[in-house]
Amino acid sequence: MKLSTILRRMRKSKMFMIGLILLVVMILLCATAKFWVPCDPEVGSLLDRHLKPDWFAKGLDGHPLGTDSLGRDILSRLFVGGWVSLKISFVVTLISMFLGALVGLVCGYYGGVVDMILMRICDVLAAIPQLLMAICIVAVLGSGMGILIFTLTVTGWVNTARLVRSAVLGMKNKEFVSASRVLGANTNRILWKELFPNTITQLMIAASGHFGGTILVETSLSYLGMGVAPPTPSWGNMISDGRAYLSSAPWVVIFPGIALALTVLGFNFLGDGIRDVFDPKNID
Amino acid sequence: MKKKIVKRLIASIFVLIGVTIISFMLVRLGGGDPARMMAGALATDAEVEEFRVRMGLDRPYIVQYVNYLGGLLKGDLGYSWSFSMPVSQLLATRIPQTLSLSLFGFGWACIFSIILGIIAGIKQGTVVDFVAMFFAIAGQSMAQVWLGFMLILIFSVNLGWLPSQGIGGFSHMILPGLCIGFGYAAQQTRLMRSGMVDVLREDYITATRARGVSSNKTYFKYALKNALLPIITNIGSQFGRIFAGAVVVENIFNWPGMGQLIITAINQRDYQLVQSILLVSAAMLVFCNLLADIVYTFVDPRISLN
Repeated sequence: MKLSTILRRMRKSKMFMIGLILLVVMILLCATAKFWVPCDPEVGSLLDRHLKPDWFAKGLDGHPLGTDSLGRDILSRLFVGGWVSLKISFVVTLISMFLGALVGLVCGYYGGVVDMILMRICDVLAAIPQLLMAICIVAVLGSGMGILIFTLTVTGWVNTARLVRSAVLGMKNKEFVSASRVLGANTNRILWKELFPNTITQLMIAASGHFGGTILVETSLSYLGMGVAPPTPSWGNMISDGRAYLSSAPWVVIFPGIALALTVLGFNFLGDGIRDVFDPKNID
Repeated sequence: MKKKIVKRLIASIFVLIGVTIISFMLVRLGGGDPARMMAGALATDAEVEEFRVRMGLDRPYIVQYVNYLGGLLKGDLGYSWSFSMPVSQLLATRIPQTLSLSLFGFGWACIFSIILGIIAGIKQGTVVDFVAMFFAIAGQSMAQVWLGFMLILIFSVNLGWLPSQGIGGFSHMILPGLCIGFGYAAQQTRLMRSGMVDVLREDYITATRARGVSSNKTYFKYALKNALLPIITNIGSQFGRIFAGAVVVENIFNWPGMGQLIITAINQRDYQLVQSILLVSAAMLVFCNLLADIVYTFVDPRISLN
């Protein structure tokens, strides 16, 4: 597909554009948060506990979205914490996609014993519910950013591997692969230059779903006390922190949940958009 | 057909054996010494050692695993150290709680999403369709924890209509049930709608309409049957997921099921209890999927197992 066609379809797809704009805004705000947020996200003043949102009455200088139970500014925590959540999801998604693609390509292309063993491992991993598995791993290994990322990756690559494998199975006997082999290409070249590029669309769709899904799982883990450890803010632990004061200070919970939902929404839209843009049935 | 089902069944059992291996290794990988936990903080090393022997943890891993598997074959799930009772007895009180909650959450979500999806598919492009799609997309983007808190905030704290904690009458089940089924309802609404939209574009529907068959008959007699096909597989995989994923909802709403139990079990390093909960959840997931596949082959003769 020509680049100009892709760009035109992207502009035409509402889903894609809404998702893209949502994400660009959210990611930019979170990535630059360190430089513009008004307060230190990890230090509060106990005199300012549970201040109500003042809705930007004093601009950024007040507490536009209120404060939490330790008197920390929620707006500051929201965007600094957002960057923590986004970074975790980004790393997890990247590793899961790479690992999944690698296993999927190898299994699909070689078949045989390697395929059988790896796919049975996938079956077993897929049979254990992701959240329960993650809880167990975090509980035995202890908490920490590295372990959190490891945990979410271990439980995250299986679906991608299956997806890529079945895509490869459908392609490996097509003419373009045989042609490449006849021309003397080695296996490495066939895998990465012929087969892999043809799975990229599917990988991108899977990645945007995975990205959003990882943010959601991180929230569940944080609630169970196994996510990002305080005082570092993340959307997950901000939501869980507010539980105790739900009736007196609901804003502590509400804002991070909305930010999180908008981000996941952005990824879901983006995934749908990519599907539309690269859909072979899509005729302008 | 029968042969294929048996084959899949055997494959599923091997998957579950894999699950026992992983869960067995998982609980023993990390820190925390269950013998010391059981013996108490003041116990001497000799006393801890005595507990270790009594709990069978002094033996090599492979012996422990073989014993565990042997017990499983006899239907013995092991002994829960922290609750001082057989695991099967403990789970017998907890599984029904999780099951009733997941069935309720699954039930409303399934019916609601199918109806909403059908209407949205038929009324494609109208306000109804827009509202349904908004629900479907927004519902999939919300964190379950956050949704649970919002339900409590609205219906318990502000309106005071429904209880938010523990078990009791039916009213106790409504909020956790809504929370546990919400994501699934959203996902399946979308699936049902797109299934309906796709089927309505097919030539045979156009032909039916051209023959002068009424709209309702076209929708419900001819289109619905095919549009429902993808829902069957989805129902199977999602029910297992809801059941296994009850851990968050049970902890938010203080629902005394398996999901609440596993957190205690892990913190207490109660090996056999953790292994059993993982195994039960995995078994549920695997067999719901299998059942859905089997039903699918009966409903749609074009598809065969494998």
